[in-house]
Amino acid sequence: MDARNNGLEKFSRSVYRTIFRRNSVFMVGIFATAFAFEMAFDTATDRWWDRMNKDKQWKDIKDRYSQ
Amino acid sequence: MVNLTKLAATVNRTHITAPYSANSIRKLLDGSKYVHKESQKIITPSWFVGASRRCDGSIHLKTALSAAPYIGNIQKRLSSSAAVDSSKSTIVPDFSGYKKHSGPNTSRTFTYLMVGATGTLTAAGSKAFVTDFLANLSASADVLAMAKVEVDLAKIPEGKNLTIKWRGKPIFIRHRTPDEISEANSVQLSELKDPQTDAERTKNPEWLVMLGVCTHLGCVPIGEAGDYHGWYCPCHGSHYDISGRVRKGPAPLNLEVPEYSFENETKLVIG
Repeated sequence: MDARNNGLEKFSRSVYRTIFRRNSVFMVGIFATAFAFEMAFDTATDRWWDRMNKDKQWKDIKDRYSQ
Repeated sequence: MVNLTKLAATVNRTHITAPYSANSIRKLLDGSKYVHKESQKIITPSWFVGASRRCDGSIHLKTALSAAPYIGNIQKRLSSSAAVDSSKSTIVPDFSGYKKHSGPNTSRTFTYLMVGATGTLTAAGSKAFVTDFLANLSASADVLAMAKVEVDLAKIPEGKNLTIKWRGKPIFIRHRTPDEISEANSVQLSELKDPQTDAERTKNPEWLVMLGVCTHLGCVPIGEAGDYHGWYCPCHGSHYDISGRVRKGPAPLNLEVPEYSFENETKLVIG
């Protein structure tokens, strides 16, 4: 094996052993990652949407019509 | 094997008339010494076994020398005056740029990582699909806003009825007197068609809140009427008592009690 790949190989093997070897760990990791990914994705897309629709949504103009 | 086949190719040439003595063969091999040296690089010559690209560009499959066709590298070689370097006739591209440099552990981990990433995206996507689909089925904000009705109880004096509209249906609200409450509590459950205590039908005995739709065929009963001083349905003559329980007539069930709550002493929220 190439000497420059030794570090990567070691890292890959440790990743494989900790996460991928047991299917239960793998599946739990998938669902946990999906949960985190969804939260991050939703937050990011909501923020983007609010920025694109600034001063157009009810929550932005609510103060003008406060009782 | 290389040498033997070279030899065979050489001795098969038609213009060689010399006897196949060891001497003549050695002379032949000496004369084509550079061929051996060059062909050492190739473990199996491409013209001997396997597929190769012919000079006209087409793929040509060779299994053995004996199966050599008339056209192609072998034919050319056979017709030449000297043994020709085989590596010159077959151009093997340089594949080193396409070769993988990572080790087996890295490849395996990368593959599993791709599988896991696909699973992650699939799980997140299907969850979002299901939740969005179900959210689409649920009531929208304008419907929910219409679904609740607030009633000011301070305007209803004791012993009076109020009828309001809620979700397209009438709601009866009665401010009962202490006499009426004790009358509702004095009824034996055994004499009821749909046995229910008054406590089950009211949150605060002072206030009776129920759906003003007869459980028989959906008419609206008349208040403060009937044999039991409660409600009377004029359509088919069902009598309800002061707790809205059916006492007489074709109605099978008591008047329905909607979801409601007391926000404070004087404010009732239905829905």
